[in-house]
Amino acid sequence: MKESVQNVLQEEYTSALKNYLIHPGEDGLHRAYAVGRRALAEEFGPLEMAMLHHDALSGLLRESGEDALHVVKEAKNFFVESLTPFEMAYRGFHDATSALRRLNEKLEDEAKRIAHSIHDEAGQFLACVHIALEEVARELPPKSRKHLEEIRQLLNQVEGQLRRLSHELRPTILDDLGLLPALEFLAEGVSKRSGVPIAVEGERGGRLPPAIETAIYRAVQEALNNASKHAQASGVTVRVKRNEKTVVCSVRDDGVGFDAAAMLARKGGSGLGLLGIRERVAVLAGTVQINSHPGKGTEIIITVPIEA
Amino acid sequence: MHSQETTVPVNADIDIVTARQKGRELARDLGFTSTDLALIATAISELARNIILYANSGEIVLSVVENGSRRGLKVVARDDGPGIPDIERALEEGFSTSRSLGLGLSGVRRLMDEFDIVSEVGNGTTVTVKKWRL
Repeated sequence: MKESVQNVLQEEYTSALKNYLIHPGEDGLHRAYAVGRRALAEEFGPLEMAMLHHDALSGLLRESGEDALHVVKEAKNFFVESLTPFEMAYRGFHDATSALRRLNEKLEDEAKRIAHSIHDEAGQFLACVHIALEEVARELPPKSRKHLEEIRQLLNQVEGQLRRLSHELRPTILDDLGLLPALEFLAEGVSKRSGVPIAVEGERGGRLPPAIETAIYRAVQEALNNASKHAQASGVTVRVKRNEKTVVCSVRDDGVGFDAAAMLARKGGSGLGLLGIRERVAVLAGTVQINSHPGKGTEIIITVPIEA
Repeated sequence: MHSQETTVPVNADIDIVTARQKGRELARDLGFTSTDLALIATAISELARNIILYANSGEIVLSVVENGSRRGLKVVARDDGPGIPDIERALEEGFSTSRSLGLGLSGVRRLMDEFDIVSEVGNGTTVTVKKWRL
């Protein structure tokens, strides 16, 4: 399929270019734009356009004799014109990436807001409930008071759980102390809930840009959730390594593993978490590598360049 | 010197070429670089293409605009077609095939410095774009 499209476009490009060299003018440039637009719609990239141009040009140069320099010069205009649809698409992708970056920041702000509401508002309500219980307790006979004491214990647990969830949703520890302490806190929480031991290793070093710390934190959060819920792992290790130019974070478990390629190719479904990691990291020009095979555990390696 | 406007009726593919040519001549007189000329021609093509695809006929009006010491090219694409029911969506997604490739109106917006669109269902669409000389 693609090969025949390639041939059609090559023919179209070559004949339009040849025509343009004989009758230079707007008509020829319009055809250049039209071929480029069609190539773009056929999912050609700029490299394939360069090849189209090169093949067309070298054929024409062989026929042109001493006029070669003129041909090359004129053909440049045609080539540039054929690339203008790609320029449009390129600017579009650029805009989409910054929109995604802004969206991530918005989501992070939203998580912060929800985390604060849970912590402060729900915390305040619970404090009121405690006071109200205190008053009720005073009017009750000692035997019933014991009952209330149990309720109070439960409330304390709810309070603890809410505080923990609010911290994980948007850990102030990430803002205040940085990536590694936040990851340790996260690992401790997930480990407590799931019963899977999680080790966090790495040097503390200085702070990283907030966008990078947040993206890595979110990626590890997703990876740990996957590992503790689906992997049936007996242990997970999170490792953070950094040098001047990059920070590398890996999450490795010894669980059941999965077919990573199939999971990523599938749209929607449970692969969404992995896609989420990829998108967050891609916006920062980083990469995500997933090594996993059924029965052999999973390792997710996130590499993010540190902006100068 | 360029006080008057150039109007190019757009009814068929061949008119796209005329509109591009007039736009390129005007832009060249204004001193735009050769890559800018290519981008301006492309924007005009996209606008003219939209007229033919969605309204069958319309016109493209080219003129020079001034703002203090700056000069630029203004392109107005006008049609009496069905109008665009949802401009925001048209801009975000582009139309049909150009969707997600960043072509169409959203592409034009990115190639030019200023972009304005007025569309009324049943009363046609007017897109006004400007590109300023740096």
